[in-house]
Amino acid sequence: MPQAVNAHQLENTVSDTHYPTLGGIDAIQSAFEAAGYICTKRIATVIRLAAALEKPILIEGPPGVGKTELAKTCAQVVNRPLVRLQCYEGLDESKALYEWKYGKQLLYTQLLKEQLGDVLEGAKGLAESMERLHQFGDVFYSEAFLESRPLLKAMETENGGVLLIDEIDKADFEFESLLLEVLSDFQVSIPELGTISARSKPLVFLTSNDTRDLSDALKRRCLHLHIPFPSIDLEARIVASRVPELTQSMTDQLVHFVHAIRELDLKKAPAISETVDWARSLVLLHANDLDGRLVQDTLNVLLKYEEDILLAEGQLSKLMAAVKKT
Amino acid sequence: MNKTPRIATRSAASSDQLLAFVQYLRGKKIPVSPADTLDAIHVAELLGYENKKQLKNGLAATLAKSQHELSVFDTAFEHYFQARPAKPSATQPPHKQGEQTGQTPDQASPTAPSVLEGTPDPLDGLRGNALFDALERHDETALSIAIETAAAEAKVEDISLFTQRGQYVRKILDALGDAALREAAIELEQIEPAAFEAVQALREQLRERVRDRVERAYLIHASAKTEDLLDESLSKMKLGNVDHSHLARLKRLMDRMAKKLAARHGRRKRRFRRGKLHVGETVRRAIPTDGIPFYPRWRKVEHRRPQIMAICDVSGSVASYAKFLLMFLYALQDVLPRTRSFAFSAALGEVSDLFARLPVEEAVERVNLKYGGATDYGRALADFSALALAEVNTATTVIILGDARNNQADPRLDLLAEIKARSKRVIWLNPESTRLWGTGDSEMLRVKRQCHVAHECNNLKQLERIIDKLLSDKR
Repeated sequence: MPQAVNAHQLENTVSDTHYPTLGGIDAIQSAFEAAGYICTKRIATVIRLAAALEKPILIEGPPGVGKTELAKTCAQVVNRPLVRLQCYEGLDESKALYEWKYGKQLLYTQLLKEQLGDVLEGAKGLAESMERLHQFGDVFYSEAFLESRPLLKAMETENGGVLLIDEIDKADFEFESLLLEVLSDFQVSIPELGTISARSKPLVFLTSNDTRDLSDALKRRCLHLHIPFPSIDLEARIVASRVPELTQSMTDQLVHFVHAIRELDLKKAPAISETVDWARSLVLLHANDLDGRLVQDTLNVLLKYEEDILLAEGQLSKLMAAVKKT
Repeated sequence: MNKTPRIATRSAASSDQLLAFVQYLRGKKIPVSPADTLDAIHVAELLGYENKKQLKNGLAATLAKSQHELSVFDTAFEHYFQARPAKPSATQPPHKQGEQTGQTPDQASPTAPSVLEGTPDPLDGLRGNALFDALERHDETALSIAIETAAAEAKVEDISLFTQRGQYVRKILDALGDAALREAAIELEQIEPAAFEAVQALREQLRERVRDRVERAYLIHASAKTEDLLDESLSKMKLGNVDHSHLARLKRLMDRMAKKLAARHGRRKRRFRRGKLHVGETVRRAIPTDGIPFYPRWRKVEHRRPQIMAICDVSGSVASYAKFLLMFLYALQDVLPRTRSFAFSAALGEVSDLFARLPVEEAVERVNLKYGGATDYGRALADFSALALAEVNTATTVIILGDARNNQADPRLDLLAEIKARSKRVIWLNPESTRLWGTGDSEMLRVKRQCHVAHECNNLKQLERIIDKLLSDKR
């Protein structure tokens, strides 16, 4: 009974899902950590729920906090293929769901033109010819002529894969409605063929950079996960796991610096990916202490706009003070 | 931290609690659908109620659908669920009954009195009564379950007025079976005053708990209703009359309306990207393939992007209305991509970039500062024509907000007629009620003829309706 479910029993009850390798919440955390992704309790809880409730996860948050990475790592952890659909303005069903291979259909009709005579041989009158043709059914609208696009491909994957629908906010509103059937029933309706259901339900991740509001209908079907910029401790752990070559003290200094810089009024605040990039470049430069000069030389790794760099350079002494205080 | 014993009915009580929490969230304006609620119950069953942090993470994933909702959810969760575990610590100390002080609470207390007196305890008659036992043993879990059940029975969530509290406390106490305790107390009053005191003290504790429960219900259910009522009346109040202290609320209300409108109308953008088959081009392209159309060509449907030009009178009498119209229009930027705004009182000037750069409130202040003065519609229209008439085309909707009181000057209806001829639509919004149109120096009746539509518009509801209509036949 539900009231008795605690962390230990969670480990045992997951075998009923498609993803036996995903354990309970703690197991998820350690599995992701082993794969190089440090996730918080909240993230692990949501993944656990998504696997158990068979619901997609809608991940929101500023760019570069590891939204896409989460889906990739998840595919790695459950050891299933990742199908990725990158959204953009104007994305439609022929690019996302399926398309008829028009050229192939046309080519086949041309090639089979001669066969038509054989088929219709001996048929008397129009009605009988039609009758014969009907016997062949819709040969040209069969799976052989169907080009699967990512969403359909994800439905066709055996044992359930991981489907990543990246940057859904970039797609048009209509596209969201197109997704509803896929996300709630895990099926795709093709007028000529009927409904194709998922062989087994994939784990679905949607990411959004929050450039616009998504429709309520879409949100309703998803578990909602917001990934903010990480805390200092978490980010230090992430950098340590991604760039183990960097010394402990450097990692600390670097993370404190990044946190101080995020406080500034920047056009684009540096995200985790930039922090990691910066850490990597510092390793390449064989730096073993974070000093003002080094920071100034490598600031362009962290900040992506000239005006941000100028602003940060002006505040450099203050930022460095924040680092040294620790 | 609260190691309460697990009891079989706990999950039922907890899912009731969850439902009440959902109510509470709705009161906080987080839209939770029944399907969301079901998901939340699933989640709670999966995660269990023991680990509060885990439960919170799980519920957040199903109930909070945006960053804003998440922050509301976080505080609401803490507020709602923290009220319960805080209780044991609040109720454990009060050993008001003199004879029980000094004893450790739990196991010691039931046996204590009988040991003291040596004779059969007069309270023994009451032992076995579940309610009494729970009270005497300070059994938090049993008590809160009993109270929740009784509260559900008494339909405490129907409470709508603060003055109904006493009535609901009575109902819940009855449902709990307080009557039995009361009768026992009356019996004991004459023969065993000490025991009577003890029973009364326990009853008083129970009453206090129930009162807490009712007050929480009032906060959750009724305060939300009161808020709704306030919102409703505010949206029907003349914008010019809205008190300063209510502006923040009005702004919130407007944002909500704008969001709703945006959701309703935003979805139809670029519906027909690909038009019909371009037969000529397709046939031409089929020539190399012997007339077989391998490369079909489609016509593109090009939309002329709709544009809105808002001309607002910002003179004293109408300024507050202009402010709201502009705020509304700019809250709809996702749906109305090209809004140009002009403000005038004596002279007219374009203020679009002010709105692009500054937060709306500040921009409105600046506009007032720059263009305030005695109203002159004629001059304003002349300025507008010089500034933007060339860009008014069949995709343009011109919205003019003003009372059309022109201080006896020429309103230049000829210019207005020209704007009407060129544009898709001219909408005049007048904050004055229709009865006042044409009285005194109002030119409204003449102006009206040169517009496609003229509306009275002085509260949020009317504004919403007009903009809704505007968006509906935008294309």
